Amino acid sequence: MFRLTSLACLAFLGVAACGATLPPPELVDARKAYDRASKGLAAQLAPAQLDTAKQALDKAEKSFEDQGDGVPTPDLAYIAERKAELAEATAGKAAAERDAEGADKKFKDAQLEGLDKTKAELNKERQNSEKTKAELEQEKKELGEEKVARAEAERKAAAAMASLQEIAKVKEEARGMVITLSGSVLFATGKYELLPIARDKLDEVAKALSDQGFKSIVVEGHTDSKGRASDNDMLSLKRADSVRSYLVSRGIPSDKITSQGLGSSRPVADNGTADGRANNRRVEIVVSPLK
Amino acid sequence: MLRKLALRMIWVGFVAASAAACGGAAVPQETLTAAQASVKGAEVGGANEDPKAQLHLKLANEQIDKAKKLIEDGKNEEAARVIDRAQADAELALALAQQTKAMKDAKDADESLGKLKRKLSQ
Repeated sequence: MFRLTSLACLAFLGVAACGATLPPPELVDARKAYDRASKGLAAQLAPAQLDTAKQALDKAEKSFEDQGDGVPTPDLAYIAERKAELAEATAGKAAAERDAEGADKKFKDAQLEGLDKTKAELNKERQNSEKTKAELEQEKKELGEEKVARAEAERKAAAAMASLQEIAKVKEEARGMVITLSGSVLFATGKYELLPIARDKLDEVAKALSDQGFKSIVVEGHTDSKGRASDNDMLSLKRADSVRSYLVSRGIPSDKITSQGLGSSRPVADNGTADGRANNRRVEIVVSPLK
Repeated sequence: MLRKLALRMIWVGFVAASAAACGGAAVPQETLTAAQASVKGAEVGGANEDPKAQLHLKLANEQIDKAKKLIEDGKNEEAARVIDRAQADAELALALAQQTKAMKDAKDADESLGKLKRKLSQ
């Protein structure tokens, strides 16, 4: 009897020891793998695979409960571990695909942005080049116009000079262009009112001067040496004034033209002869050129 | 000596027969074929190009070989369990290969983006 009890005791102990069986390493690994997968991206990105893994783990756990660590528990746990890893890998793949998609979209956006930028730069460049072209054209046009204008001015000045030379003696001197009008053509003896013929001549002079352009004009009255110097001075000034006034009335700006009476102080010929004296009686219009 | 050998052969035959009888299970041909197809799928899917995937592919192949041997020995039930393991390894190998490929694609896309951005910011 005692022996029997002992045997029963032993058997009981054996079963108890059996119940306390440690899970097989495959099951330990499977639990860990599932735990990791369920806490990671798989819950969100691979829920179906994670669920399959859970079912596989449950099956292994049930087998462990019912059969202990023997067949088929390790096999089921082995499979459960791989299912959990598969769920993780599937989630990792989905995450990577999501990242790639995001990067692709950004790439396309950046490409478009770059394209826009390039387009804008090209447009700007084109506008700039068009502007430059227009400016060049304008410059060319202006230069052309200037050239034409200068040629025209030169032509006018030459023509004016030519017409002046027909009516008066014209000389280029250091002080400018000197137009000499004979006193006898302009005035009656001892007078300072312009003769009608003088007006015609001065009309020509005024026109020529206007055409030619000038900086300033000095009208100088000169006499011969006969008579009193003070009288000569006065007469020469009045005559110069008359010429000046007339020229102003013909459009020469009054602020650019002055008059001087120099009397007999600057003879150009011998006062001892009648011809010389005639030459000395004169009005000189001294024109300072523009340049 | 001869008698002993004959006896032994009979014994082996008996054991084999009883094992077949004991297994009682049919040859797991269908799951074996499926597992072999999964292995092929994993190979095509690039499992040989990723170390971890390659490891599971190797495990799957080894277990398929083991299962075939077990079937030859008439141990169909055990073979079925080994085939299930092989199937799980093959599927995992494919998933790992696909993950690696997707990660490489993502990295490439990111690098292209970086290059483009650098180019644009010049």
